Amino acid sequence: MQYFADLVVSGLAIGAIYGLIGMGYACIYKATGVVNFAQGEVMMLITYVTASLLTLTTWPFWMGLVLAPLVGIAVGIVVERIVIRPMIGRPSFAIVMVTIGLAVLMRSLIVLFWGSEPREFPGRGSEDVLQFMGIGLYPVQVLAFLIFLSAAAAAWAFLRYSRLGIAMRATALSEQIAMLMGVDVRRISGLSWAGAAALSGLAGVLFASAAYVGPDLFAVGLKAFPATILGGLDAVTGSAFGGLLIGVTENLVGGYVDSSLKEIAGFIVIIFILMLRPNGLFGDRDVERV
Amino acid sequence: MQAVSFPTAHADLTRLIGGGRQWALIAACLAVAACLPYVVNSYVLGYATLVLITAVGAVGFNILVGWTGLVSLGYAGFFAVGAYAAAFLMTKWGWSVLLALPAAGVVAGLISLLVGIPSLRLKGLYLAITTLAFSVITNHLILLAKPITGGSAGLRVVRPTVFGIDMTSDRALYLICLVVLVMAILFASNIRRSHVGRALFAIRDYEVAARVLGVNVVAYKLLSFALSSAVIGIAGGLFGMHLRYLNVESFELILSIEAVSIVIVGGLGSIAGAILGSVFMVLLPEMARLTFAFLGGSLGGVFSSNAQEVKGVIFGLVIILFLRFAPSGLVGAFRRLGAAIRRWPLAY
Repeated sequence: MQYFADLVVSGLAIGAIYGLIGMGYACIYKATGVVNFAQGEVMMLITYVTASLLTLTTWPFWMGLVLAPLVGIAVGIVVERIVIRPMIGRPSFAIVMVTIGLAVLMRSLIVLFWGSEPREFPGRGSEDVLQFMGIGLYPVQVLAFLIFLSAAAAAWAFLRYSRLGIAMRATALSEQIAMLMGVDVRRISGLSWAGAAALSGLAGVLFASAAYVGPDLFAVGLKAFPATILGGLDAVTGSAFGGLLIGVTENLVGGYVDSSLKEIAGFIVIIFILMLRPNGLFGDRDVERV
Repeated sequence: MQAVSFPTAHADLTRLIGGGRQWALIAACLAVAACLPYVVNSYVLGYATLVLITAVGAVGFNILVGWTGLVSLGYAGFFAVGAYAAAFLMTKWGWSVLLALPAAGVVAGLISLLVGIPSLRLKGLYLAITTLAFSVITNHLILLAKPITGGSAGLRVVRPTVFGIDMTSDRALYLICLVVLVMAILFASNIRRSHVGRALFAIRDYEVAARVLGVNVVAYKLLSFALSSAVIGIAGGLFGMHLRYLNVESFELILSIEAVSIVIVGGLGSIAGAILGSVFMVLLPEMARLTFAFLGGSLGGVFSSNAQEVKGVIFGLVIILFLRFAPSGLVGAFRRLGAAIRRWPLAY
């Protein structure tokens, strides 16, 4: 039982990171109808930049959590402006392909620039284990979970109540009608990229401070795909919840079945989920008007 | 002279090869390709073989991406399945290559159904994610299935003997690849000109309309996915013979990205484009390397120490730039050039 609880709790911590990235996927998909295959690479870039900034300034670790969303917003806006915005109006098929190209381009440039040696995240959180009801936890795991909860709540409130959030949902519903109602659709696209990058920047810093900053960081982005599929590609808070489920599943499979299956457990889960619930657990049914 | 030619009869749409000029072009290309191994050295021959293998895969990939309009990131997975299936059948069970290559195609096609059935009922985007998942799962399973694949140690591949003729030389392998490529092209063109091809185009252009007109969308998507994966699997089988040694590291995600970039560069939905794209994308990293080595300086060193990353930069840039500035690819550019020459000096 102790073993089980340990697995679940550390699964929730890694799941919180998948959830943050999954929210990023859903955010972009909801606003623009495009799956951003470069999300993991965007996260990787933000993490590398934040780590370098922290090393340069010797600021404490918590500044990284402040810097990451800011760097993320900048990266998101720049990438959207240079690569995505010129493609607006083209079929989403082409835009998805562009994000695939962007992914491999960013990944390679990062390795060329920072080298392929993994490094430690500067001033990573303390290694003391907190005891909570008999379960050992690292502070950064608790932190990841708290940040995740507040980000999910903030995203939900933003989409539900704020003017921009409503404009975003309107754009997702119909780009043309939103435009006719005076929504600046291009700005919404930029906003969704900035938001997604900020979320994944947080995820990247949290993950890197628990592990390392390395050239395979983008794989965390890939592993967050199952989260967003599980929760529904168009459901932001659903994707967040999907992240938790995937994190726990992964850990349980790794702990009880086979440690080498841990890496692919999430992917196997989504193939089955898609058979049973084609639009994810919380996604909307797709209705097309002819 | 006629400026533009439009199909005016049903026969124009179902013809295998266009006019006399197209026949001449194809004959010339085939003649050059067949003579090539007797002219060039083994270094060039190795690259030429790789181009042919990549072209077989690209022709197959184009059936799915270019004609049915579905994005797949599972190219590397099906390529690996085909490579290991053919290598296992030939090396361990002693099958002839004539049986092992089709068998590799069948295995890849059947496995594609496992991924296709859950994901093709949904919007096209889901396929990209599930095929990506499939590719990752395949690579892990290859490492786990030691008795079949040799695990992380890899698998040695023996080159075959066909009709008592020794096929172990590089030249013979090149010719086998050429024959397979011609067969793949014939296969794909026959799909294109039949009702199957027209159904796929209809799905790509407007899925709802296709369904309303009586096209069984799910069945045709699955068919296109399976056929495409089968051809990719055969290409994988050839790749194994080319390398003589299989290892999981040959089937990383970058291979799928390369396939995507090939069909985009060549021109989506065109067989000639898939072949042109293969020539372009296989040779481009090598050309870039030679250019920088020639220019000297520190950049040359980057190519040797970070070959994988340089490839990544090239593929990524090519995908982004072509989609932005030349969405119809090299074939489209040639077509526009040809039209401009024909109409000169009185365009419109």
